[in-house]
Amino acid sequence: MKEKKGNIFLMIYTVLFFIYMFVPIILIFIFAWNKGEGYNFPLQGATWRWFIELFKDGMAIKAIKNSIIIAVVSATISTLLGTALTFGIIKGISRYRAAFLTLLLLPVLMPSLTIAISALVFFRTISIPLGIPVVILSHVSISMSYVFLIMMGRIEGISLDIQEAAIDLGATWSQSFKDVIFPVLLPAMLAGWLFSFMISWNEFIVTYFLIGTEVTLPVYIFSQLRFGISPKVNVISVLITVFTLIIILILYSSTSIYKKIRAKII
Amino acid sequence: MSTLAKRNRNLIYPALVWFFIFFILPLSIIFIYSLTTDYLFTGKQVTFTLGNFLNIFQKKHYLIILLRSLKISLITTIFSIIFSYPIAYFLAKRTRFDKALIILLMIPFWINYLIRIFAWKLILSENGIINQMLAGLHVIQEPLKMLYTQTAVILGLIYTYTPMMVLPLYATILKIDDSLVEAARDLGASPIQAFFDVIFKLSFTGIFAGTLLVFIPALGSFAIPIILGGTDSVMIGNMIENQFYHVGDWNFGSAFTISLAVLSIVLVLFYSRIFGIESIYRNREF
Repeated sequence: MKEKKGNIFLMIYTVLFFIYMFVPIILIFIFAWNKGEGYNFPLQGATWRWFIELFKDGMAIKAIKNSIIIAVVSATISTLLGTALTFGIIKGISRYRAAFLTLLLLPVLMPSLTIAISALVFFRTISIPLGIPVVILSHVSISMSYVFLIMMGRIEGISLDIQEAAIDLGATWSQSFKDVIFPVLLPAMLAGWLFSFMISWNEFIVTYFLIGTEVTLPVYIFSQLRFGISPKVNVISVLITVFTLIIILILYSSTSIYKKIRAKII
Repeated sequence: MSTLAKRNRNLIYPALVWFFIFFILPLSIIFIYSLTTDYLFTGKQVTFTLGNFLNIFQKKHYLIILLRSLKISLITTIFSIIFSYPIAYFLAKRTRFDKALIILLMIPFWINYLIRIFAWKLILSENGIINQMLAGLHVIQEPLKMLYTQTAVILGLIYTYTPMMVLPLYATILKIDDSLVEAARDLGASPIQAFFDVIFKLSFTGIFAGTLLVFIPALGSFAIPIILGGTDSVMIGNMIENQFYHVGDWNFGSAFTISLAVLSIVLVLFYSRIFGIESIYRNREF
């Protein structure tokens, strides 16, 4: 049972903490529609001017397109590879489990910069040109680990009895996987896909080093921030944030998946 | 091991091959670079050396950047523990709305961190929100210089990584049995003693897991010092970029990168030795 005394200070603190977390984001929203060029109060009335300017900016449009391509392709590859990997480890390997876990955790816990630099040196050494394909290759090796984290709980909960039963009834191994296991995994795979989509969509450091002359949204924002700030950055931030909220909503509203994961993680 | 398990095991190979080619192999290549003197595979003779690593400690300039990065990351970690603890405790023990609040907390985390850092630029800049407020209240005559300082970098890092500290702390405190606190109270401990002797000590796993998730990315931060920092806030990440893009010394740059990687691996192994690697997985929350 959760106690209810001594709450008041903790409650005030919690409210302040959430204000601290959200105020910066709200400020960005406010200034996206502000008429003035600067970031000054009082506000000078609302305008859609910055939205229109953003859509006239060819670089920004290209960045949006590239970001979507990279995130969709790498999420798809990493969900397929990651799901197979997780199932193989949880339902096929009993020894060296801890070694696998440690190894697969590295891309999550290592600074992205080390991954970025090593990939840059690797691709340059074997003379593969930088660009979108190279970014996808590296994104997959990172987001695969996140898919593993998400799928682990779900797969541990599956009993192999159903697969065995299917085989006893005459199914081949691949039939048993396709017809029995795969449907059970599908909701979790969707969660894994959205998760790795978000990882890839937000990823900046690895992309920055590997993208070459191309541009993605985080890289575009970074270059804008590095050399002064235009209200266009607010607009693009608003669009990204709204898009992100929609994805989170989908991710969390699939509650059955969420509960399963939670039950395992905590 | 059953034949079924053996068939299932084959599923790991495509992912493992990918992982080795695009993750392990690149790391191995910069490891070789860090221990040699020239560009690899160009036909030129390369020789083995420890000089790249020694360079980090011998040149004062590099040592200063290394120590500064450690300092900034340490301050960030300490403040994120202080800021997160009350909220993690509240979520775990004092409210029934913890699950909804955790989702709410995850929202800023999911919004691209460059955007969140951009917001701090608006807040801290010379005609930013804070300076305008202080000037409006006649507290200051001249605007305070907050942007492009080390403090701004630390503020940005704390803001960015604090949610990563809240989650494992919350998960750990949630699991602490309330009857332990009651037992301590029955045996005569004051509420504060009971908190420190029971809850705080039992939440060490969470603090350490959170430290991994805050300290390591803070140490490897690259964009935040560029956007919010000035000349006194150059960190290891910026140093490394400089080696690859401007100086062109891949060997020395690799030595720096490998040091960063080794430090993070050591921290992870240290953690898994004490608490078991599985607990990191369990402490994560999405």
